[in-house]
Amino acid sequence: MSFEPITGRYLTVTVGGAPRRIYVEEAGRGRPVLCLHTAGADTRQWRHLMNDAAVTDGNRLIAFDMPWHGKSLPPEGWETQDYLLTTEAYIETVLAVIDAMGLDRPVLAGCSMGGRIALQLAALHGHRFAGFIAIEASDFQPAWYDIDWFHRPDAHGGEMGAALVSANISPHAPPVERWNTLWMFMQSGPGVFRGDLSFYTRDDSLIGRLGRIDTARTPVHLLVGAYDLTCTPEDARRTAAAIPGATLAVMEELGHFPMSEHPEGFRPFFLDALARMPMPRADAA
Amino acid sequence: MLDTFHMVQARLDATPHLQRLGRLFSETVLVEVDGEEIYLGFDRGRLATVTPGPSRKTPWRFALRTDGAALAEFWRARPQPGFHDIFGLVKIGRGRIDGDILCLVRNLRFFKEVMALPRAGQEGAA
Repeated sequence: MSFEPITGRYLTVTVGGAPRRIYVEEAGRGRPVLCLHTAGADTRQWRHLMNDAAVTDGNRLIAFDMPWHGKSLPPEGWETQDYLLTTEAYIETVLAVIDAMGLDRPVLAGCSMGGRIALQLAALHGHRFAGFIAIEASDFQPAWYDIDWFHRPDAHGGEMGAALVSANISPHAPPVERWNTLWMFMQSGPGVFRGDLSFYTRDDSLIGRLGRIDTARTPVHLLVGAYDLTCTPEDARRTAAAIPGATLAVMEELGHFPMSEHPEGFRPFFLDALARMPMPRADAA
Repeated sequence: MLDTFHMVQARLDATPHLQRLGRLFSETVLVEVDGEEIYLGFDRGRLATVTPGPSRKTPWRFALRTDGAALAEFWRARPQPGFHDIFGLVKIGRGRIDGDILCLVRNLRFFKEVMALPRAGQEGAA
């Protein structure tokens, strides 16, 4: 028997003036790389990369479950709350985890809504990071659907959400990983996917901020899958074009959850992205 | 195209997990391909009837309208981007979905997998 190299622990941070118990996983040593999961999912999306010695050789990969997701509990009193993620709360949560863990200018890698908030952080708090890997990330995506469909008493929101997002998974993805990816959506708590989508489909504040990103100080590399219907290559190209100095790679055989749906296919793109990010300064090591 | 949906009917009959997923689904769905109407009559997860149109008297819950070339690509083992999902067909302008969309979304996994039954590589799905 041998354990995987991933270890998980809990920490409590303050967000919105109240405590949040956060589940954090990490693997590897070296440059910190903070990884953000997509809407309706959790850190398990990153497990393949965290178990990949080529990735963790020189990189300390850290992933955490957002409050309400995975093994991070919702806040006290959740039973009467309507969970709707906001840009402000999302930023506060990411920075609180960085502070609590004492991370010095990590690389931030986020997918989908995690990629969106990575670009928000690049615009508003770029000095806190070494660089940004924005995966399936775009400036704004309005919903063609009603987000309330995914939180209703007469149907299983997780199963409906999984069936919806399956449209974004590439047919090149190995079936086992397609279904593992969908399982996470099926497991998300009641209303959680809807609350994430509220942030993702209603807040367009990033559009006016993209030009502020200083890629000379903190590089931004975007990755987009050709099979992603939610953030299409056109969406990613438009977003990259609005960030002076940003770079972009289109992944022809991948979809919206590349690290989870097709880890082998994603691996070279992620390694290339990491190579584009600066190493820690010697005085900060 | 009618023959293809008779094949869907037979494959669904031989796919127990899909019948279980669709056990609460008893609705009529209109599929229109290059203007040819086909009414799919589902009964508790089975495709009970495959009825050619046109018909102005057959009520349907939701409809998927597309073209034969798009469906041919959709049914390849690894379709090109956009052709890989019914919502992809809509996104790239090769399909339209009308009617009670919430009914579709509540039964989305079932309906998408039924529509994919002719896909290459699904022969063994039974």
